[in-house]
Amino acid sequence: MTISQKTAWIQLVIFGALVIGWVVLFSIKGTIFYWQDETMKMTFYWLCAAAFIALVVMHIIAGILKGRLKAVTDERDKSIFRKASLWATGVSYSVVAALLLVLAIIYMDSGSETVPVYFPLFIVIVGGVTLLLTQSITALLLYGRKVSHADS
Amino acid sequence: MPTARINNQIRRLRFDHGEMTQEQLAELAGCTRQTIIALEQGKYVPSIELAFKIARVFGVTLEEVFQYSI
Repeated sequence: MTISQKTAWIQLVIFGALVIGWVVLFSIKGTIFYWQDETMKMTFYWLCAAAFIALVVMHIIAGILKGRLKAVTDERDKSIFRKASLWATGVSYSVVAALLLVLAIIYMDSGSETVPVYFPLFIVIVGGVTLLLTQSITALLLYGRKVSHADS
Repeated sequence: MPTARINNQIRRLRFDHGEMTQEQLAELAGCTRQTIIALEQGKYVPSIELAFKIARVFGVTLEEVFQYSI
């Protein structure tokens, strides 16, 4: 397994755990509007912060290892990650668009003409997590499939 | 439209060159062992640069390593 594959697995575990954490949090409180409850708001931010710190630490360690070892990544890894990033960008844009639509409908239905200040931040966080999760899953799938350098 | 396929003789060439290991070939060609494995399994079509590097390691022409068929 290359370092790129290992980082994809670790990224998947980190953000998979974050999403599970969110699901547990949202199901306990019965709403995704985390900003309406102070404890929920803090738990949501702590979960996000822990995941992003873990991501940064993972990239620092991977960067150190890539510097020490020779040929730990090559054109195949780069091809796979370029493809995975394209897929991830498409999926995350779609998720952000869908989320904007759903939240807008919910708020319009409730008769509100304003949205909370947490609203854009929530969309950005969900979009970012979707991007990283999709990138990991796509990269891991592509490692097992036929890839052409010319396609990337 | 018929599907094009690129086959390679890397596995045979490795054995013809003193049973060279995948690790040794990867090091000489400047790629990872996983890429050599993927190439041998037909799961990766390399760049022209890597293809030339592999051919140079074996001291043969590109066509002796990679074959294009439709």
